[in-house]
Amino acid sequence: MTKFLKNLVYVRGTKEGLVLQFDDQCAYVDLLSELKAKVSDPALDGSAEVQLHLGYRYCTEAQYKEIVATIQNNSHLRVSKMRSEVISVEESNKRIQERQSETYVGIVRSGQVVKAEGDLVVVGDVNPNGKVVAGGNIYVLGRLKGIAHAGANGNREAVIAASWLEATHLMIDDLIETMTDELTVLSEQPEMECAYLHSNGQNIVIDRLQELRFIRPQISTFKGGS
Amino acid sequence: MGEAIVITSGKGGVGKTTTTANLGTALALQGKKVCLIDTDIGLRNLDVILGLENRIIYDLVDVLEGRCKVHQALVKDKRFDDMLYLLPAAQTVDKNAINPEQMKELVTELKKDYDFVIIDCPAGIEQGYKNAVAGADRAIVVTTPEISAVRDADRIIGLLELEENIEPPKLIINRIRQHLMKAGEALDINEITTHLSIDLLGIVADDESVISSSNRGEPVVMDPANRAAMGYRNIARRLLGESVPLMTMDKQSTGVFSKIKAIFAK
Repeated sequence: MTKFLKNLVYVRGTKEGLVLQFDDQCAYVDLLSELKAKVSDPALDGSAEVQLHLGYRYCTEAQYKEIVATIQNNSHLRVSKMRSEVISVEESNKRIQERQSETYVGIVRSGQVVKAEGDLVVVGDVNPNGKVVAGGNIYVLGRLKGIAHAGANGNREAVIAASWLEATHLMIDDLIETMTDELTVLSEQPEMECAYLHSNGQNIVIDRLQELRFIRPQISTFKGGS
Repeated sequence: MGEAIVITSGKGGVGKTTTTANLGTALALQGKKVCLIDTDIGLRNLDVILGLENRIIYDLVDVLEGRCKVHQALVKDKRFDDMLYLLPAAQTVDKNAINPEQMKELVTELKKDYDFVIIDCPAGIEQGYKNAVAGADRAIVVTTPEISAVRDADRIIGLLELEENIEPPKLIINRIRQHLMKAGEALDINEITTHLSIDLLGIVADDESVISSSNRGEPVVMDPANRAAMGYRNIARRLLGESVPLMTMDKQSTGVFSKIKAIFAK
């Protein structure tokens, strides 16, 4: 062996399977060349799933793809998961925004659109032809008589809750439900209800607001209790 | 310095022009100097309802384009002791002939000489609407107890609330038919006001004499005994700051016999 291996890539076996742990201080090119040498090792000939642990190294999308390609082209390993301890400021801001709850106090009137990146709380009515759109959940403290679109960025877990749910259209992610008479999920009493995507992934269903804590327990951010 | 009020509705045919004519007349009868502006360019009606059609020489577009002075275009209504004037709309061009800045300037000018400048807005939310609201300080939204009119009123209120120079709009519910409302066939006053959630300025009963008097060119408000006229007069008094209770919509017979009957009915 002419080249001294600095052990920039550790191969570990864990309960969850094979893990490739990368050194996060060395140069990217060194890492890549050692990775190539390690995975090309004939000792690793079986096909298996591996997880990548990048540590505190920030990888761009292109670099990440290059790493995956290096592994999958030189061995039978398949990358199942990647874990990194760092994210960019941009992504961090986006995540904060998505978790934030925005509040709109007033009436969303016909022709108006109120949008939020994260959750949206409307204190007031949403009138017919008024529209509320949120990346997260929508809560209306008032009468929802217009259009509500929750989980607009692809969050299929999002819910729409209202003190009075009488919407003309409900949308979650890319699913739309028109609230017509033939809709069986439509209840007699529109008071205090919530709408969510059924576990079959194809229908929006409406239930009593009290059921929300069983349907989407993860919405609650309070842990424990007294 | 007077104030400028725009009468608008979104939907057509709910009674904007009739309301403008009658409120203007009612205010003039209360001793206020009133100027009515018709901004429905191309489809002018206000002059007809006031019976002033034959006296138009110049119009709004002539004034804004400098072909005449404002006072030359104003048509005086001789019935009301120099208290009521009309600035008619042009009929030969369309709504794009003028712009909001011009209107704002004109209304500011007129406010110096008049207690009230009432602007009749065309239906719709396009150029004509923008022209009409440009100079206004206050807005009155007219609706009828029909779902389509209420939807459009909701849209218009949303747009008016975006205007920074206009106070929160007030509502007039026009053409109320008591028997339909009682039977639950038409939206009731409470339903409309909670849906739109703005202050109610007044209600006006549906009355056939509104049509016949408009056809004669005499605003119905000139007949003090008429039910619709009472509605308009009450609204005018509220605009002047009086507190007038909302009239009951029940048709009351005022004869002696019915009064006696009412006593025994208890």
